[in-house]
Amino acid sequence: MRGVVTFLIVVGTLIAGGCDRAEVLGEKTTIRFWNGFTGPDGRTMLGLVKTFNDENPDLNVIMQRMEWGTYYNKLFVAGLGGRAPEIFVSHSYALPRFMGAGFVREVDDLLGTGPGQLDPADFDANVLANLQRHGRHWGIPLDVHPLGLFYNKKLFREAGIVDAKGEAKPPTNREEFVTALRKLTDAKKKQWGFVWTWQRTNSYTIIRQFGGELFDPQGVRPTMGAPENAEALTWCRGLIKEGLVPAPQDFNSWIGFRQGRVGMVFEGIYMLPELERQKDLDWGAAPVPVVGKQQSAWGESHSLVLRKDVKGKKLEGAKRLIKFLSDHSVEWAMGGQVPVRKSLRASEKFKSLYAQSQFAREIPYIAYYPKNPYIFEFLTEFDLAVELTLRGTLPADEALGRGQQNMERVVERYQAQGWDLGEAR
Amino acid sequence: MRRDRDWTGYGFLLPYLMLFGMFLVLPMVFGLGLSFFRYEMLSKEPAKFVGLENYREALWLPHADGTRGDAYFRQALWATVRFVVLAAPLTVTFALLLALGISMAPERRQNIYRLMVFVPTMITISVVGILWRWFFADQFGLFNIWLTRLHLREVHWLTDVNMAMKSLVLMTLWWTVGGPVVVLLAGIKQIPDAYYEAAAIDGATGWRRCWYITLPMLKPVLLFVIVLNVIGAWQVFGQPFIITSGGPERSTLVLMQYIYVTSFLNYRLGYGAAMSWLLFLLIAAFSLVQFRLMREK
Repeated sequence: MRGVVTFLIVVGTLIAGGCDRAEVLGEKTTIRFWNGFTGPDGRTMLGLVKTFNDENPDLNVIMQRMEWGTYYNKLFVAGLGGRAPEIFVSHSYALPRFMGAGFVREVDDLLGTGPGQLDPADFDANVLANLQRHGRHWGIPLDVHPLGLFYNKKLFREAGIVDAKGEAKPPTNREEFVTALRKLTDAKKKQWGFVWTWQRTNSYTIIRQFGGELFDPQGVRPTMGAPENAEALTWCRGLIKEGLVPAPQDFNSWIGFRQGRVGMVFEGIYMLPELERQKDLDWGAAPVPVVGKQQSAWGESHSLVLRKDVKGKKLEGAKRLIKFLSDHSVEWAMGGQVPVRKSLRASEKFKSLYAQSQFAREIPYIAYYPKNPYIFEFLTEFDLAVELTLRGTLPADEALGRGQQNMERVVERYQAQGWDLGEAR
Repeated sequence: MRRDRDWTGYGFLLPYLMLFGMFLVLPMVFGLGLSFFRYEMLSKEPAKFVGLENYREALWLPHADGTRGDAYFRQALWATVRFVVLAAPLTVTFALLLALGISMAPERRQNIYRLMVFVPTMITISVVGILWRWFFADQFGLFNIWLTRLHLREVHWLTDVNMAMKSLVLMTLWWTVGGPVVVLLAGIKQIPDAYYEAAAIDGATGWRRCWYITLPMLKPVLLFVIVLNVIGAWQVFGQPFIITSGGPERSTLVLMQYIYVTSFLNYRLGYGAAMSWLLFLLIAAFSLVQFRLMREK
């Protein structure tokens, strides 16, 4: 009996304590903030949120991190059930789904030159426009993370690919790139000049450099089977056939680069923390060389997005958080991102970030994925076409043609369901 | 004299029945209903009753290019069949051999052997998956390092279209064989010693004792193990999902993963439910056939 009484007292105390706590918190406005930053970037973001909470005693931002793999699923289901957080992070390519489902609030009232607003002129126009639809903005870009060239300076010097000062000289065009491949590749030493990392981003970059597009300008009709796309992938496969680049299935690319057995890789700026921790690799960073007809490099942006029905104090607090994070995006960039605010990139602090500054040069010609609600189905088809081509299973035009056919069926399905597919880019 | 029914037994069953009903029967019935609807979470339109249209889409819907049905569904079904055909017989055979071997070991050592075989079963698939991805890695993987040391050619365990599924089966064998071994071992222990003693007196060799006593007496347990393994193999998901993501070239993209992608990545819940029911019907049919075959004298 005594045990039961003790138990009741303990439970009662806990409940009462909980109530007290709730009342204290009641003075603060709680804002939920979801994102997929589960790596070291999550710690950076958590630090920023803590600073924000300290500086804003009337607000209590609770940040929840989830793996990107399941993040969008959870977010989507939460949104449909009316339980989405007040603020969430979305890659720009994933945003049309949330917009289509109707739980995203436009953020144009956050853009302007007034107090508490962000000056749109301070953003790169193409990055900001990427979040525009029907003339309105649906998120504030926090960063851009482009694909760039990481190269092994030691291997470059050994192969004699150097400038007048004897420093490793990264290639800037197709001729220099292929010459570097020939000089760096040494089959006996199992050393490669270049290897594919993420086939999706690598090939998308090259396709765009060849003038290829994966959707029509309205973002409605797939153009995966276009001749420019096939030309680009055929060129990629040609490098493999010639023995200059290993087939993607034959090499663990990123590990190989970190082991010093690879001269060049195209990788995202987000891989930077791993390289910075590795002290025995003499690496450099530069924009992706132009191997096609025009400059282009895949990139993505994390965007800060508001739930549609956020109102009153929560809305005001959420806007404050977005401005704070945008204003502090140089701190955020240190973990392997590039800020999208020109004023911040002009700061000495940003200029001192070597790789970020190099990759920032690509911003004017960043190639985002097409924007449409069927992006996940589209990427599945694109990945398969690239894989079939690079592995040599099918010629590029056939692999892309199959993808095109499948995508047309998907688009028809969406259209039959009343999706507004126009002006999706 | 009519005896009042004793409800006590049902009382004990009730907690289980409630959970069984809530988390198995209800979702299954709901899923069956869903499979007759065009219900897509991304759609602007409300769910719409379409009869057998989802089943038609998977199996025989004609397309402009002359093909019929969902080619990816067929591909995933074929990948699953390959897994079942390889994994289920291998697992049961190895489990039986291991159980027989362990049962012949001295009593004191049996527990340690059983533990050794069973330990992998206790590890979650995420850990097993990551571990084996490293074993299988092309240049830096454990297996290829061994092969190189033995002056043998490296194997593209996970990147060769013809090899990837076999590699997954190998991993599955290591991971799951412990469960059936324990069950079969328990079955072997149930066989009375008197049969063996009588056979020994009649001069039967070890092999004959195994063939004429152990295996026939083990038949009900063996049936249980086979059915469970075949059902488990049809439902394979974690191994390809974590280790190969269905690649290379979708060669290990099994039906469960295709259902998952369709339902929870592309949010086509009606179509996903229809494919789930097709898989369920397949498993049910296979299980029935197995029961029939094993029951025959």
